[in-house]
Amino acid sequence: MTAELPPGLALQKVDERIMTLNVGPQHPGSGHMRIVVQIDGDYIVACDPDPGYVHRGEEKMAEYRNYILNIPHLERPVIHDSCNVLYPYVLGVEELLGIEVPERAKYVRVIASELNRCIYIMYWLAIYGIFLGHSTMFMWPAGDREFLIDLMEKMTGARVTHAHFVPGGVRNDLPPNFEDVCLRQVNYFEKRIKEYAAVFYDNPILISRTKDTGVLSRQDAIRLGTTGSVLRASGVDYDLRKKEPYDVYDELDFQVPVMKEGDSYARSRIPWLDMMESCRIIREALQKMPKSGSVRVKLKPNPKGGNDTVYKRVESGRGSLGCYIVSDGKPEPYRVKLSVPSFRNLIALPYLLKGEKLGNMPSVYWSLNYWPVEADR
Amino acid sequence: MGTATGIIRALNSGIKHLAIKRFTLRYPEEKLKFVGDGYQFDPSTGVGIAGLKGRHMLFHDHCTGCQLCSIACEGVAEAIAMVKVPEELKQNKKSIMPQIDYGKCVFCGLCVDACPFYALYMTNDYELSSFSKEGLIYTPAQLQVKPYVAQDSEIIITDRGATHG
Repeated sequence: MTAELPPGLALQKVDERIMTLNVGPQHPGSGHMRIVVQIDGDYIVACDPDPGYVHRGEEKMAEYRNYILNIPHLERPVIHDSCNVLYPYVLGVEELLGIEVPERAKYVRVIASELNRCIYIMYWLAIYGIFLGHSTMFMWPAGDREFLIDLMEKMTGARVTHAHFVPGGVRNDLPPNFEDVCLRQVNYFEKRIKEYAAVFYDNPILISRTKDTGVLSRQDAIRLGTTGSVLRASGVDYDLRKKEPYDVYDELDFQVPVMKEGDSYARSRIPWLDMMESCRIIREALQKMPKSGSVRVKLKPNPKGGNDTVYKRVESGRGSLGCYIVSDGKPEPYRVKLSVPSFRNLIALPYLLKGEKLGNMPSVYWSLNYWPVEADR
Repeated sequence: MGTATGIIRALNSGIKHLAIKRFTLRYPEEKLKFVGDGYQFDPSTGVGIAGLKGRHMLFHDHCTGCQLCSIACEGVAEAIAMVKVPEELKQNKKSIMPQIDYGKCVFCGLCVDACPFYALYMTNDYELSSFSKEGLIYTPAQLQVKPYVAQDSEIIITDRGATHG
């Protein structure tokens, strides 16, 4: 009987010691996805992440809208990081249409994308805190995000889904007196996140829970194709802002934090160090930004691209985020494909969880900087 | 650093916050301050003016019924429908104006960018909740009203921490 069945449907012998556990998809400990975990006592034998519960067809939707109207829905995959999600699409469309962006707009974009990176990481950190049962680390980042959200609201007019970047620049110029307010709030924000060291990152309880759990070696990190904080926590110095500078990142001076350990402590510490670098970038960009000038090139209505393909990528809050656009000379793109960091980092999860205790699963899972909605698109 | 010292340092860092001012905004008693009068767009330069993307405001004497806002919204939220208005205006021969359904609107502001006649702006009004779906549909007459928005609180940063005041 079993010989006639296709390979996937063949019955498997059940081991009485192994128990299968479904984490999610409604469980608050997994986000909108399911992790099928097989445990032997308290130890994980095998793990199968099962994303796809929040697939919304963003890529298909992009084929029916013109280049401008694609903006509001293409930032939906990660609303907390919406400027960075939109960034590769906007850069790609600019190359397709042959638009030269004004200098001031480039600086405004860099400031917006760095603010967004911090907003995303703070949200991620709040969830990481609550996954580890650290209530203070849920409330502090959730409250301190407000300084940056307030800045984004002044800048773009919306608290989360900004729809601020357009091919040819940004939608509106900075409000009057923005530079002073931005500098003051970013400085205070940096002072606040430095306080997280005592309560969270140097806390012996956190260290004992996350150190040496889910270790990803340097070779494995490269082999599995991980990006962003996961790759940099394993000792690979790779950041697209340095390697393939876009807009004005090559004119700004910043360091890329790298750690060698590759455990979930290193993976949770790298985004925190990233935020401090983001604060430095914002301060420098505010200083170097041209004080006046246009921020947007006027486009024709319904702009058309030639028969061309373009692939652009940026460093988002989670890692390298690419956008592949195919144009066939119509006002709508023929195909838009997002290559997202969340999905690449999720691939490492079964390798990291093998042999871990079940209690370490939330910290290892969320340290991968994974965002379910972005992976499903 | 020993385990005990580390835990005491963590607790100490939390205890210091007892002396720091409250940061929480007590909405709805306190309301946030915004820059400007809402998001606006200048079609002559093609650049917007910074402001909150809240409820729209429609200037009946500028609107020509060209439907460009409705066409822009078709690709985003399909929230704008063109409806007949009773008034006779010489620039608006068809007497049609946008009606906006805030149950669908995503507040992206692309309709404001699409308007070439300075007729559609956004305001600071963000409190749009209603008990019924019909209450969220704003007719051209309702969109004409300039909203009153209380703004009394902004982030103040002092040496003793940040607060709303």
